[in-house]
Amino acid sequence: MSNSKNKGLVIKGLKVEYKTGQLALGKMDLSLPEHGIYTIIGPSGSGKSTLLRAIAGLLPSYMGQILFNEKSVHDKETLIGLVPQNYGLLPWKTVHDNIQIAMKISHTASTSKQERENQINQWLSSMGISDLADRYPLSLSGGQQQRVAIARAFAILPTILLLDEPFSALDAITRETLQILFLDNWLAHPATTLFVTHDVEEAILLGQKIIVMPSNKKEAPEMIDNQLVFQMKHEDKRDSVDFFEQTKRIRKVMQEIW
Amino acid sequence: MRKNRIHHIIRLLFVFFCMNVVWYIAYLLMNHSILPSPFAVYNAMFHLGGQEIALNVGYSLFRIFAGVVLALIIGLLIGLLMGRSLTWNKLLDPVVYLTYPVPKIALLPVVMLFFGLGETSKILMIMLILLFQIIISVRDGVKAIPENTYDVLTSIGASTVQKFWHVTLPGALSVILSTIRISLGTAISVLFFTEIYGTEHGMGFFIMDAWLRLDYPEMYAGIMLFSLVGFVLFLLVDYLDYKFMKWRN
Repeated sequence: MSNSKNKGLVIKGLKVEYKTGQLALGKMDLSLPEHGIYTIIGPSGSGKSTLLRAIAGLLPSYMGQILFNEKSVHDKETLIGLVPQNYGLLPWKTVHDNIQIAMKISHTASTSKQERENQINQWLSSMGISDLADRYPLSLSGGQQQRVAIARAFAILPTILLLDEPFSALDAITRETLQILFLDNWLAHPATTLFVTHDVEEAILLGQKIIVMPSNKKEAPEMIDNQLVFQMKHEDKRDSVDFFEQTKRIRKVMQEIW
Repeated sequence: MRKNRIHHIIRLLFVFFCMNVVWYIAYLLMNHSILPSPFAVYNAMFHLGGQEIALNVGYSLFRIFAGVVLALIIGLLIGLLMGRSLTWNKLLDPVVYLTYPVPKIALLPVVMLFFGLGETSKILMIMLILLFQIIISVRDGVKAIPENTYDVLTSIGASTVQKFWHVTLPGALSVILSTIRISLGTAISVLFFTEIYGTEHGMGFFIMDAWLRLDYPEMYAGIMLFSLVGFVLFLLVDYLDYKFMKWRN
């Protein structure tokens, strides 16, 4: 039992302080089994992004431990795909090259050029952007850029996938299209995924479990099971009773701890 | 697009033609050997040996290229150091700040004293003209790259070299190119100064030599050729800009 508990992403006593000594993220303990998708929702300033940055290894220092399958998450074996809110594409590289460079650095690219091209084309078409391969990011719309960013994150075949409010800057219709596209891709390649959002509906639509961060950094985050909604077909989710119940439940939790 | 370019070229040629007309009128009004007619100058230009032109233009181009490459290598290293590390910036900023206003051409006698009259002092002068501009623009260009541009590559474990190659260098390239474009004019002027001593090749030498021989048509022909070299260099920078800066629009 204890063995299986240590599998997956385990966060022990994680605490992050700003340079000024202010608390960015209070003591946090989480245990997230492998191949799950977890949505994180919380008020601004609750440390959601800080948590992702700590896991991604972008913070100079933090206290506590972040483990994946009992090894440090920053080990070479754990590959992290990051999708930041601003898409994080290199503006001087084409869509194709943005994906290729990520694959090369993470050693997921095939050494044969032909095969590598096939890999890239496959990821582009799975996100519906095959025709944008030779375009530069600045000439694309926000939604298109985010498709590229997601394709790049999946293309490196990550063990952990981190998304920081990826759809928050998009209009409602683009957002819904991308949510479905993302979920389809995730189901085909279920990496352990943390998905930060400030949208309650999005948290329920995409997460197997929903983590509600407290505004008060000393309290522990609340974990809500969302398996019932997650199992449904995507188009049925919004109209279901379970979805409605879940919304009410989360709003109640939010009122208590925000 | 293509039509636009043709229009542009026709306009350039037209202006060039008009300048020659003004020149011809000035020649008629002056009627003195110090201003030969355009025909005499073009005639002199076509009578120059191809080998002679190639040799002189080649020497000048070599000096400019060597100076630019040297300035780029040193300027990139120092500029990057200052842009990426706060400590180095604090240390080197006063140095750059104090030496920047020194008119580099005034250092010509110093450079000649230290490095003699040969190629070294000529190349070093061109490098000096460009170096400080490049240091400052690389530093500012690197600083202007948002910190989160590195995030995705950092999270998948990119090395320092990979981050330099894929983020820092292309991010700073646009400022580097515009700096080269601006300082290239000064570099060419300085090249002229350095070519009037200690050499028997180069456009500067060619022009001054014709001047001393009172061969004015050839002197003007030299000036025209020298301008052509400058023009070609500008075109080259424009081409590099077009090639590497496609992503901006």
